[in-house]
Amino acid sequence: MPGWYYDKKEIKNSPSAQDGLDFETEMRYRKEGARFIIDTGSKMDLGYNTTATGVVYFHRFYMFHSFHQFPRYVTACCCLFLAGKIEETPKKCKDIIKTARGLLSDEKFATFGIDPKEEVMTLERILLQTIKFDLQVEHPYSYLIKYAKCLKGDKVKLQKMVQMAWTFVNDSLCTTLALQWEPEIIAVALMYLAGKLSKFEVLDWSGRTPKHLRWWDVFLEDVTMDLLEDICHQVLDLYSTQPTAVPDSPPPKSQANPPTPRKSNGQDKSDDSAANKSIQMTDMTPYQYQTFTTAPPPAYPSVYSAPPIQVAPHLSAPPPHISAPPPTVFPQFVSHPPPFPPVVTGTAPPPTFYPPAAPHHQNQRPFYQPPP
Amino acid sequence: MDYRRTGSSMERNDGYEELFTIGRGAYGTVYKARDRNTGKIVALKKVLVPLTDDGIPKNTLREISLLKQLDTYEHPNIVRLFDICHGQQKERELIMFLVFEHVDQDLALYIEKNANRGGFSTITIRNMAREILNGVDFLHTNRIVHRDLKPQNLLVTHDGHIKLADFGLAKTYDFEMQLTSVVVTLWYRAPEVLLGLSYATPVDIWSVGCIIAELYKLSALFCGTSEGDQLNKIFKILGKPPRNEWPKENVAVRYESFEVVDPIGISHLIPNLCTTGKDLVLSMLKFDPNKRITALEALNHTYFTEEPINT
Ligand SMILES: Nc1ncnc2c1ncn2[C@@H]1O[C@H](COP(=O)(O)OP(=O)(O)OP(=O)(O)O)[C@@H](O)[C@H]1O
Ligand SMILES: [Mg+2]
Repeated sequence: MPGWYYDKKEIKNSPSAQDGLDFETEMRYRKEGARFIIDTGSKMDLGYNTTATGVVYFHRFYMFHSFHQFPRYVTACCCLFLAGKIEETPKKCKDIIKTARGLLSDEKFATFGIDPKEEVMTLERILLQTIKFDLQVEHPYSYLIKYAKCLKGDKVKLQKMVQMAWTFVNDSLCTTLALQWEPEIIAVALMYLAGKLSKFEVLDWSGRTPKHLRWWDVFLEDVTMDLLEDICHQVLDLYSTQPTAVPDSPPPKSQANPPTPRKSNGQDKSDDSAANKSIQMTDMTPYQYQTFTTAPPPAYPSVYSAPPIQVAPHLSAPPPHISAPPPTVFPQFVSHPPPFPPVVTGTAPPPTFYPPAAPHHQNQRPFYQPPP
Repeated sequence: MDYRRTGSSMERNDGYEELFTIGRGAYGTVYKARDRNTGKIVALKKVLVPLTDDGIPKNTLREISLLKQLDTYEHPNIVRLFDICHGQQKERELIMFLVFEHVDQDLALYIEKNANRGGFSTITIRNMAREILNGVDFLHTNRIVHRDLKPQNLLVTHDGHIKLADFGLAKTYDFEMQLTSVVVTLWYRAPEVLLGLSYATPVDIWSVGCIIAELYKLSALFCGTSEGDQLNKIFKILGKPPRNEWPKENVAVRYESFEVVDPIGISHLIPNLCTTGKDLVLSMLKFDPNKRITALEALNHTYFTEEPINT
């Protein structure tokens, strides 16, 4: 849909920013809102398309309104509620609120006011008006599947690569990428990233002509490596940001996320220098190791012999063909317990929005059900 | 909470100034209006949406968002949809405004005006027919059945181009929301609709057949006053369908109840219709919907490809 893409400057200059909210906090709010939609959606057995659509509505909404004015969890519920109707997976508003109630602290649920359902229903109209009734949204998933079908090479490796890319797409919802680039481009970028990390080099593909240097030249024109790397880094930045115990409303500066080695989302394109951002396996390995280790507590490092791919029990059967989205065999990076217990000082409240640090089980429910 | 204020100010429809009523249909009213920000003249269609316990029904949302999505193609024969906004909520209903580009007149009026001037040239008819079919083909490609094609729902721009209007909200309208005072015309209805059978894209082709005939005839081809009478009028002109084409199931109307001895025939009624034009119209007016030509096939019919014979 034209008109729904922004450059990084515009994202930085959001209504929340104009309302005095600092950029890091806005990105955290966006991430928390997105994660909450995903968690609520998967708890209610909504498919990946419905949750992704809800998340895209959420990001678009806050390009027109401030987080100060519209509490994020109410908006998130409303986005999921609306996405359910559009994706033909409708859920009752009261059931969504019930699920949300179970996922949120009392303090956060208080933002729903005395009549939570009325709050969400009132917001439905504001949301519709804000996103201009552009309710049909495409996601990278379908492109991922489409592209994967054209790649040639070792089936098992390809499958692993696609699974990894799929998880990156899940996680990309927590960034503002859907506000910046078309789903096709995001799919290519995250397959490129997954290919690098899983050491699957695409040497041949169907539809190849002598003009094509890269497999994605079959599908997209004018995609530069700089662009792909920038997209990859926006996703990777998610894993490098340490969840810290921060209060809910704009945190004091000292509580802001620690500086990360990578630049965060939404930086100006001008300060991207491909040289210092280029993804190289040498600098990738520790980086990505850290990333993936955010899933289990450090006590289980052996799981992560590189490449960090866990084979889920149901995958030990013959590898499925890539005709359907792969099952999620990756841990959900972002909502997992932080690798190290956050330092909770006397004044800072505990991080309630992260699930309690339970040992990571292999049979943990994937947060996206593979579609039939 | 202070966003309620924001909400209500957005819900007031103060972005547009209603000038006067253009048309009143069965389900809504269309106003000529002015966009207060740009000064642009628009057509504002006011639709009442019944609210459920869970807000705006999903069928309505899906239909409206499909309309918005279709609009991004900017098809030349489809009326532009600029904006959608909602007005007040009344009890269990929500007023929605669909903001369309304003088009000078509809085809009903255009035909009426030209009838007084001796009718259209063959070239004009051919171009209008092509544009209608282009629009219909676009809708069908996007899996939309118009269901109510008629001269009132075809708009004609100041330079004589056709734009389809009033489609895509069938499910939104499916509620008992019809204004009883408005008589719904049956004249362009396909037999399967009149018989109460399930229907699909061929119903639109039937309607286009009636409309093309009307462009030559300058009055409607089949003017029934009830479903039965409409079928009767159709058979009187085209003849009764063969016995074996009469639907087997779910038909309350008996084949035998229609008595047609000598069909009048379309050439007799429309002497100015050329041979290829007649062939095209008859292929659109086939009783069996499966035998009716499609919009795409129609666009490739000799009627459109042959050298114009007279003007
Ligand atoms: N964009 C427009 N510009 C100018 N006039 C219009 C426009 N849209 C509709 N009209 C006029 O208003 C009339 C009613 O509009 P429309 O058919 O959309 O409403 P409706 O209530 O759905 O009618 P119907 O009874 O056909 O369902 C049309 O017949 C036409 O004359
Ligand atoms: Mg109409």
